[in-house]
Amino acid sequence: MPLPSKAFQHWLNGVAPQESMADISRISGVKRTTLAQQMVRGKVAETTVVSISRAYGINPLDSLASFEAYSELHGPLPAPSPGELISLVSTLDMLQALIERTRPENKAAADLDDPMHPTSVKNWVDAIDDGELRTRVSDITGIAPQNFSAHLTANRMPPELALATARAAGVGPTAGLVAIGLITEAEAGWPPDARRTALNALTDGELALLAGDRLQAWGKTLRRHEQDQENTERIWENLG
Amino acid sequence: MTGVLPWATLIVCLAITMIRLPGALRGHNRSLFWIFALITFAILLSIEGPYLTIDALLGGINLTNLLLRFILYATFLLVGVKAAKGFGSPNGVRAIRGPIGLAVLAVVAGLTVFFFLLTDTRGSSVGLTGLPFSHSLEAYAALGRLYPGYVSACLLPGIWRTVVGHGPLLLRVASALFMLGLVLLVISQTFPLIPPALAWLRPLINYSAALSIALGLGGIGLSKVVSRRQNGPVPGVRTDRVRGKAS
Repeated sequence: MPLPSKAFQHWLNGVAPQESMADISRISGVKRTTLAQQMVRGKVAETTVVSISRAYGINPLDSLASFEAYSELHGPLPAPSPGELISLVSTLDMLQALIERTRPENKAAADLDDPMHPTSVKNWVDAIDDGELRTRVSDITGIAPQNFSAHLTANRMPPELALATARAAGVGPTAGLVAIGLITEAEAGWPPDARRTALNALTDGELALLAGDRLQAWGKTLRRHEQDQENTERIWENLG
Repeated sequence: MTGVLPWATLIVCLAITMIRLPGALRGHNRSLFWIFALITFAILLSIEGPYLTIDALLGGINLTNLLLRFILYATFLLVGVKAAKGFGSPNGVRAIRGPIGLAVLAVVAGLTVFFFLLTDTRGSSVGLTGLPFSHSLEAYAALGRLYPGYVSACLLPGIWRTVVGHGPLLLRVASALFMLGLVLLVISQTFPLIPPALAWLRPLINYSAALSIALGLGGIGLSKVVSRRQNGPVPGVRTDRVRGKAS
């Protein structure tokens, strides 16, 4: 649920009391029309608060915590589990790690991809799912299971739903917000090499199996795209 | 409403036929061009002025209506096979072009001629609405609706899969429109149940069906052109959901 504009205005007064809306939109890179529209509708997007916080050198987590719906973000927050950290490693980085272990001469640059990778939302939920998580989330939030799945497929999730999912799984709130790309690892307060450490701690067997699962899912997605494309081409060939 | 609809349908069908002409001359999907030409001709024969003119040449005994029936049968055979292939429905292809489908067509065509000969059809009347009621005339009319309805029913499952699938939006909208037309043709089997007071529903359903089918088929062609413009001539498999390192 986006943030109420009254609370947003109150927060903004604390952050940038002297600035006009034009200044704020220029410094933060949030379009002026977008900002105005969100305020008028009384629904300010979390990403707006994050952008403005970054522009004014404030930690976005602290900013979000000042809103009622996000009060649970008041620190200190529990650290993400190794499983969550691994879920935020991209599939290609995982395969790269596997290659590096078997052929150390093929060492690539040490930087991992962004934690919000093409399947991060689904991988994160899978990492914290005990088998009943989806049912619990839909019981608590009222979201239909197929809509929840649609978020995972689209690799997008509203911040509020990510928090509710983390809560239902009994894990800390930060990894979900990182998985959906709302905040960075640093903003979440993680050590810079947290994901790398978790990756290195996997045994060869664990890493190979995890990478295999990822490849399997990737292959299915690709195959589905290819089949959709083939269907479309066949229609056009006959009726186009 | 029912006065404008036939002419609007005719203009749309004629326009799509003309748009497809240059491509057909270059050899691109000629059978689809002939399908549209046949649909256009069929609509022309369903409108009073042209019908009476042509029927006068054919002796004024409504032979033109029989001609119209056979044009429609041919059109639906062609459309049915093309669409069943296109929408990936081998069962549909079999049901239309296989032994059963051809048997249905042969029986319907034979009975159509039989009931036409059995009916006193003197006195040109578009849609045969001016002829006195007779059971043979009712049977003749029902047969004319039956074959298009049969082909439509064979096509619906395959098209539905595309409508709810993941193809380009324009293609899905056009397929939905095409499907709407076919559904109307299936519904038209219930025409004898429509009370006389609502008789105007019949031409409305018929022309709406024709218009939906023409616009749907035209839209499928358009979706191809639009997609080719956007993605270049040879679209590859889109893999943007799972892309490589963002280096």
